[in-house]
Amino acid sequence: MKQVNLGISKKILALFLGLMLSVCTFAQTSTVTGRVIDVNGEPIIGVNVSVDGGKMNVITDIDGNFSIKVAPGAFLNISFIGYKSQKVSAESTPMRIVLKDNAVLLQDAIVIGYGTVKKNDLTGSVVAMKPDELNHGLQTNAQDMITGKIAGVSVISNGGTPGGGSTIRIRGGSSLNASNDPLVVIDGLAMDNQGIKGVSNLLSTVNPNDIASFTVLKDASATAIYGSRASNGVIIITTKRGVAGAAPKVSYDGNISFGFKRNTVAVMNGDEYENYVETLSGKDSDAYKLLGSQVFGKNYNTNWQDAIFRTAVSHDHNISVSGGFGNIPYRISGGYTNESGTLITSSFERVTGSINLAPTFYDKHLSFNINAKGMYAKNRYADAGAVGAAIAMDPTKPIMVENSSNTAYSDFGGYFQWYSYDSALGKNVINSLASHNPVAMLKQKHDIADSGDFIGNIEADYKFFFCPDLHIHANAGLEYSDGVQRLYESPESYDDSPYGRQGRDHLYKYNKSFNAYAQYSHDFNIHHLDVMGGYEWQHFYRAGLSHYNGVSATHNETSTPTKTESYLVSFFGRLNYSLLDRYMLTTTLRDDGTSRFSKNNRWGLFPSAALAWKIKNEPFMRNIKSLSDLKLRLGYGLTGQQDIDQGDYPYIPQYTVSTTGASYPFGGEYYTTNRPNAYNQNLKWESTTTWNVGVDYGFLHDRITGSVDWYYRTTKDLLNTVSISAETNFNNKLISNVGSLKNYGLEAAIDAKLISKKDFLWDVSYNVTWNKNKITKLTTGTGDGYYVATGSISSGTGETIQAQAVGQSANAFYVYKQIYDTNGKPIAGLYEDRDGDGKITSADKYYYKSPNAPILMGFSNKFVWKEWDFGFTLRASIGNYIYDDVLASHHNVSTTGYYATSGYLTNVMKRALSANFGSTSNIEYSDYYVKNASFLRCDNITLGYTFTNVMSTTFGGRLYATVGNPFVITKYKGLDPEVSGGIDRNVYPRPVTFTIGLNLNF
Amino acid sequence: MKIQNIKSILPAAMMCLAVGSIASSCTGDLNTSPINSNIVQTFDQAAVFAKLYSSLAVSGQQGPSGEGDLNVDDEGMAGFYRLMWNMQELPTDEAACTWTDNGTPELDINSWTSSNAIVGNMYSRCTYDITMCNHFLDNTSDTDQSESTTDLSKDTKHERAEARFLRVLNYYYLLDFFGNVPFSTTVMTTNPPRIERAALYRWMVEELKTIQGNMYAAKAAAYGRADVAADYFLLSRLYLNATVYTGTENKANWDSAAIYSKKVIDSGFKLASKYQYLFEADNGYGDGSVNDATNEIIFPIQQDGVKTNSYSGSLFLIASIHNSDMPSWGSTEGWAGNRARYDLLEKFFPKGVTTTDESTLTSGLATLAGDSRALFFGKDRTQKMASLTTFKNGFSVTKWTNLRADGQATSDTKFTDTDIPLFRAAEAYLTYAEALTRANGGVATQTAIDAVNVVRKRAGATVLTSLTLDQILDERCREFYFEGQRRTDLIRFGYFGGTNQFLWEWKGGSASGTTFDSHYNLYPIPDTDLNANNNLKQNSGY
Repeated sequence: MKQVNLGISKKILALFLGLMLSVCTFAQTSTVTGRVIDVNGEPIIGVNVSVDGGKMNVITDIDGNFSIKVAPGAFLNISFIGYKSQKVSAESTPMRIVLKDNAVLLQDAIVIGYGTVKKNDLTGSVVAMKPDELNHGLQTNAQDMITGKIAGVSVISNGGTPGGGSTIRIRGGSSLNASNDPLVVIDGLAMDNQGIKGVSNLLSTVNPNDIASFTVLKDASATAIYGSRASNGVIIITTKRGVAGAAPKVSYDGNISFGFKRNTVAVMNGDEYENYVETLSGKDSDAYKLLGSQVFGKNYNTNWQDAIFRTAVSHDHNISVSGGFGNIPYRISGGYTNESGTLITSSFERVTGSINLAPTFYDKHLSFNINAKGMYAKNRYADAGAVGAAIAMDPTKPIMVENSSNTAYSDFGGYFQWYSYDSALGKNVINSLASHNPVAMLKQKHDIADSGDFIGNIEADYKFFFCPDLHIHANAGLEYSDGVQRLYESPESYDDSPYGRQGRDHLYKYNKSFNAYAQYSHDFNIHHLDVMGGYEWQHFYRAGLSHYNGVSATHNETSTPTKTESYLVSFFGRLNYSLLDRYMLTTTLRDDGTSRFSKNNRWGLFPSAALAWKIKNEPFMRNIKSLSDLKLRLGYGLTGQQDIDQGDYPYIPQYTVSTTGASYPFGGEYYTTNRPNAYNQNLKWESTTTWNVGVDYGFLHDRITGSVDWYYRTTKDLLNTVSISAETNFNNKLISNVGSLKNYGLEAAIDAKLISKKDFLWDVSYNVTWNKNKITKLTTGTGDGYYVATGSISSGTGETIQAQAVGQSANAFYVYKQIYDTNGKPIAGLYEDRDGDGKITSADKYYYKSPNAPILMGFSNKFVWKEWDFGFTLRASIGNYIYDDVLASHHNVSTTGYYATSGYLTNVMKRALSANFGSTSNIEYSDYYVKNASFLRCDNITLGYTFTNVMSTTFGGRLYATVGNPFVITKYKGLDPEVSGGIDRNVYPRPVTFTIGLNLNF
Repeated sequence: MKIQNIKSILPAAMMCLAVGSIASSCTGDLNTSPINSNIVQTFDQAAVFAKLYSSLAVSGQQGPSGEGDLNVDDEGMAGFYRLMWNMQELPTDEAACTWTDNGTPELDINSWTSSNAIVGNMYSRCTYDITMCNHFLDNTSDTDQSESTTDLSKDTKHERAEARFLRVLNYYYLLDFFGNVPFSTTVMTTNPPRIERAALYRWMVEELKTIQGNMYAAKAAAYGRADVAADYFLLSRLYLNATVYTGTENKANWDSAAIYSKKVIDSGFKLASKYQYLFEADNGYGDGSVNDATNEIIFPIQQDGVKTNSYSGSLFLIASIHNSDMPSWGSTEGWAGNRARYDLLEKFFPKGVTTTDESTLTSGLATLAGDSRALFFGKDRTQKMASLTTFKNGFSVTKWTNLRADGQATSDTKFTDTDIPLFRAAEAYLTYAEALTRANGGVATQTAIDAVNVVRKRAGATVLTSLTLDQILDERCREFYFEGQRRTDLIRFGYFGGTNQFLWEWKGGSASGTTFDSHYNLYPIPDTDLNANNNLKQNSGY
C-alpha cells in the first residue's frame, strides 16, 4: 500500500511541476520549425504537434512541415494515427522528426498468452510479425500470410481448392494420432479446431485484411500458459483497431486474379494410344475393339486434363473505415471474395464483415475492446478425383456422345461412360470398376455448402485507481457457426448409379468462452515484478444431422444425428521477474480440467520456466558498438494434448443405436440394435516436455537482427489408437496412452536491412529449420517388427504404404527395397530379401524415408525505390519424400494394365513406360515409388507503385501486380512436390496466379 | 475522491461478480454425459440381444457402412461372413480371387503371415462378438427365467441360452481357424488367459449340451433365432471334426456326430424343393412363398437390401462372383473377384467342359452336368487359371444371386435380400453319412448311402449305390461349394497342408499345384493380439 500511495503522489507532483513549467515558459516564446517524416523518409501530413502541457497545437502540412511557437527547451508531443507518439525537446534549428509506424511499434509490445510483453523482455521462443503489406501473393486466408515467413512453422496448403485450408505444423508436430494442429487464438479467444461445416479452412472466419499481427508461440515456456492445448504451438491473431480521436480513414483493397494450371501429367494422346493398343494387343483384340475409332468411327483425341481445367478468374474486395469517435476508436470493415478454382465447377464465395470498438473511460482506467466478425461463405466443391480420372480416361473417346451415334449414353446425360446393360434394371449402368468421365464427375456432382459464422467478444480491462499497477482483465466471447453442405447427384451421374444421391450434412456449433485475470506489475528499484493469475471457462457444443438417400427412390437412406459437447476449465498464472534489466525469469502454471476424461484423470498441471540473460546490457558489453542486442534464453515447459479425435466421451460406457440399414429381423420384425462401444476409463492427457535454448542478436543498430533456437521435445503418454487385448473391450483398437515420440531441431532466422537510404530500401529475411523426429515407444507390447500401418494408397482397398514403428520417423514409408539392373532400370517384382529366408514376404519390408522435410527454408526480399516496391518470396523444402501414388497406380502399361476384362480401357501414363513393370503383383510396395520431393518454390513476385497526396489531398494508395506460385524447382516428376501427408494421389494442383491489385486510402 | 472511489469500485465489483459467479459453477460443468440421440447409456436388453445376431450380418451400426464395429481400414471388408468365407474358400480347390487387396493374394496361394489383414479381422470379429455375448450375459441373470415370444425384453431364459450359443458359435470359428485363443466368459479388464484347442473344444461341447434345455424347441423360435436344432447341428460339426480339434481319434466322437446330425434330420427341417432357392433373394420369405428354402435353413444370417445391409454379407458374395458380361444377378454391383478353380469344375465335369456352345456355357451347364448344383457360367472364360488375377481365367459361379424365385422385385437393386444359410439341413445328411461311415471303419452302410442320396436326389443327380469317404468329400464340395466350408473339410480329410496327395490349381502358389506346410492348417494368432496379450503364444510354424 505504501508503494501505491507513493506512486500517486509522485504523479501528482509531476503534474504540478509540469504545469508550473509550462506557465513559466509561456512568457518567452519563439518559433520552432521542423519536418515529420516516416522511416522511409516520406513526409507525413496531418501530424498533430502540440506543446507538452500547453494548449498550442498545429498540424503538419503537405510536406510534413510544421511551425509552432514555443520556448526553447520545452517538449513537443508529436502524434499521428497509426504511428507511435513521440515527445521531443524543441530545438531552435529546423527539426527532423521520424515517426515509427505501428509495424515498428509492434516490435515493442508483443501479444502473448493472456497479456503482452515487451519484445526485449521475452524469455521464450516467440515470433511476432505484422503482415507484409508490400510483399505477398494472393491471400485468401490468414495462414497464407505466414507461409514460409517464420522459422519452424510449416504451412502446406491442401492443394488448389479455392478457399481451401492448410496444414500448419509448428516444429513438426508432437503427436502421432492426436491433432498436430496448433492452437489458434483470435483476439484472446482460443478457437476449437473443428472448423466450420462446408468451409475447408479453419481460419476463413478472419479476413486477412483485418489482421494486425500474428504471434507464434513455439516453445513450451511460451505456450504452457495454454496448458492442455499447447503442445503443437500457438498462433495468436490480433485484428486491427481504430485510434482514439483520429479522423475517419477509409481504405479499399481489392484485386483481380487469374489462375492457370501449372502442368499436367503426361499421358498418351488419342493417336499414340491407339497405336500403342494396336501394337501390343493387335487389331483383333477385345481391347482394340473398344477404341473410339472402332466404337464411334472416330478417334476423338480428347485431352481430358484440358477438359477439366480452366483459367480461373477471381476477385477480392475489402473496404475498411477506421478512426476515433471521441474516445471510442472504431474500425469497420467488409470484404467480398469470389474465388474460382482451376478445376471447372469449383468456386468459393465469401462475405466478411467486422466491427471493432475500443472505448476507454475514466482516464483510460477502464478500457473495452469489442469485436464482432461475421462470415458467410458459399463453396462449391469439385471432386478432386476427377484429376485422377482425367489421367486414366481413354483419350480416344469424346466427352459427350451425340444421341444420334449411340442412344445408350442418354442414360448418363449424354456423357461418355464405360457401361453395361443391366437387365434387372432395364437400363445401362456405369461400370463401377472403370474410370469415370472426369467432366461428368465435376458437372453432374453438385456439392455445395452454405456456411455462416460469427465470432464476437468483449474484452474489458480495468486499472485500479488506487493502484494503477494492478489491473484486471476479462474477455467473454462466443463463436457460432451454421453450415450446410448439400449434395445432389442425378441418377444419370457417375456415382451411386442408378438412383443418384442427394442429401445434406448440417452442422451447427457454438463455443462459449470466458476468461479473466488480474495482473500486477511494479518496479522495485532494480527489481521488476509482474504477476498474473486467471481463470478460463470454455464450452464447445456441436449438433447436426446428415441425411442422404437416392434421388428417384428412397434408396440406401442414411440419417446420422450428431450432438456433442465438451468443457474446459482452467486456472493459470504467470510470474515475471527481472533484475537490473539483465536477468529475467518467467514461470507459468496452468491447471486444466476437461470433460473428456474421467474424474481421476481430468485435471492436468502444466508448468513452465524460462530464464533470459540480456548479455548486451552487461557493463562489459556496452563498448561493443556494432553489437546492438544479445540475449540468451533457456526454457522448459510441459504442455498437453486433449484433442483426441475420438469424440467427447471416450471414457464413458455407452451404446450406439443402429440406423435403418443396420437393424435386424426376428420372424420378419425388424429390431433396432444397441452396440456397446469401446471406452477407456484410464485415458489421460498426452504431455509434451520441451527444452529450448535460444539466442537473440542484433548488429549495427539492429539493422541485422535474428535468433537461433535449439529445441528438444519429448511427448509421452502419446494418445494413439492401438490394438488392445481381445475380449477386454468392445473393439479391436482403442484410443490409449501408449508410446513416446521425440522431436528435436534447430531453427535460425535473420532479418537484414541491407540498404536503408532515403529513396532506397532493401530488406532481406531468411529462416531455416532443421527438425528430426523419432518414435521411441509405441505400445505396451514389445513385439519385434511391430508397426501401426497408415497412409492409404489407391492400389487395392485398405492397402497402406506408411507405418509407425519404434526407432523410425513418424509416418515413415514401409516398402520393399527395389533391385535395379546394371542399366539402372528397376526389375519388376525383384526386391531385396532382407531377412534372407529365400522368399519375399512382408518381413522383407523396410523403413525408407518419410514425408517430413528435415530442412525447411524461407527467403524474402523487398526493395523500395522511391514510389516503387518490388518483392519476392522463396521457400525451400529439402529431404521430404513422396509416395508417387499416381505413378504406382498406373504402373501396369502392359495389355492387362490398359485393358480390363470387364470391358474398359485405361490410358497409359508416359512416365510409367520406362519401368514397364507389367502386371507383377505387390509392385506398389516398391521403394521405387518413394521419390525425393525436395523443392524450391517461389511463392510470389510482386511489383507495386505507391502514390500519395494525389491532387494535394490525403488521398493515396498503391497499385500492384503479383505472380503467385510462378515456379517450382524440383526433381519430383509428379504434378506438385508439396503434398501434405506424403502420398501424391488426386491432388488438386496449385495454380499459377496473376493478380492485379489496388489499395486506396482516403 | 468520492467520485473516484465509485469509479474504481463499480467496475471492479462488477468484474469480480462476473468472475466469481462463473468460476463457482465451472468445475461442475466437467461432468458431462453423451447428448446425442443415437447414444444411450443404459443396458437395453432387447436391443443388445438383437446386436448379438446382427453382428454376424452387418459390419456396423449404420448400413451398409459408416459406424463400423471394428477399427479397420475398410469396414466393408470386416464383416463376419466375408472374412469367414475368404478364409474357408480362397486357400482351397474351390475358389480364387482376382483382387490384390491387403491379404487376399496370400490366401489364394496358402502363404499368409500373422499380419494378414483378413486373418486379423476375422480374429477381431469373433473375439468382439464373444465380448458382446459376455456383456449381455454379465448384464442379465439366470434367476430371470422369463419367457415371451412377442417381447424381446422379457424372453430372458431363451435369450441367455442363445447368447451362450452365439458365443460358442464364435468360439467355434476361433477353434477351427486359430486353435489356441484367449478365453473368457465375462468381459475382462485384464488380459484373458490362453486356452488350448482341445480344452476349448471340450468346453464348447459341454456348453452346447448345458444350454439345450433353455433353447427354443426346433422350429419354435422366430425365423432368424437359433433353436435347439442349431445347437444339435453345431454339436454334430464339432464331433465330426473332433480328431482335428483334440488331436486324438476316438470312435465315440463319430457316434456322437451321427447321433446329433440324426437329431437335426429328425427335428422337422427338410430340404428345400430346389437347390437354387437356397441362394436366392426370397430364401428367407418362409411359408406361403414360392421359395421354400426356410424349410431347410436351420440358422440363417439374414440380409435385407434396405434394412439389413453391408458390404460383407451376401452382397459381397453375389457381387464378387459376378461381372458385367454375365446374365442379370439382381444387383448393380459386379466386382469380378471370386471364380471357380478348375478342380471345382472337375467335381461336376470330371473331364472338364468340352462344349463350346454359347447358350450351354451361359446357362446350360447344370443340365450338361446332370446336376442342378452345377451353377456355372463359362462364356468367354477359360477353365484353367493362367493368371490368378484375371477374372475370366476360371469359370464364373452363378450359384448366389439377388433374384427372387417368384420373379418379383427385390427391396433394392444394389444391396441384397439374400439370406446366408449358415446351417442348413443338407449338411446334417452328409455329416450323418460321414459319421456313420467313419464309425464303421470307413465302410459305408446303406443308411449312409441313403443319406447322401437324399441330397443327390434333390439335385437331380444320379443315385449312388456305393460310397467311399472320398466320395462323401466330393459330395460335400458339390453341395456346399462357395458356402465357406471347404477348408475345414479338406483338413479333416488330411488333404490340406502338409500333403502332396491332393493338389489343385495354384495350391501353394504354383500353377500346377504344390504342397505347402502343415502349419498352415491353423491360422496364426494375429501379431496385434500377441503384442497386446502376453498370455498368448504363436501357433507353431509362424
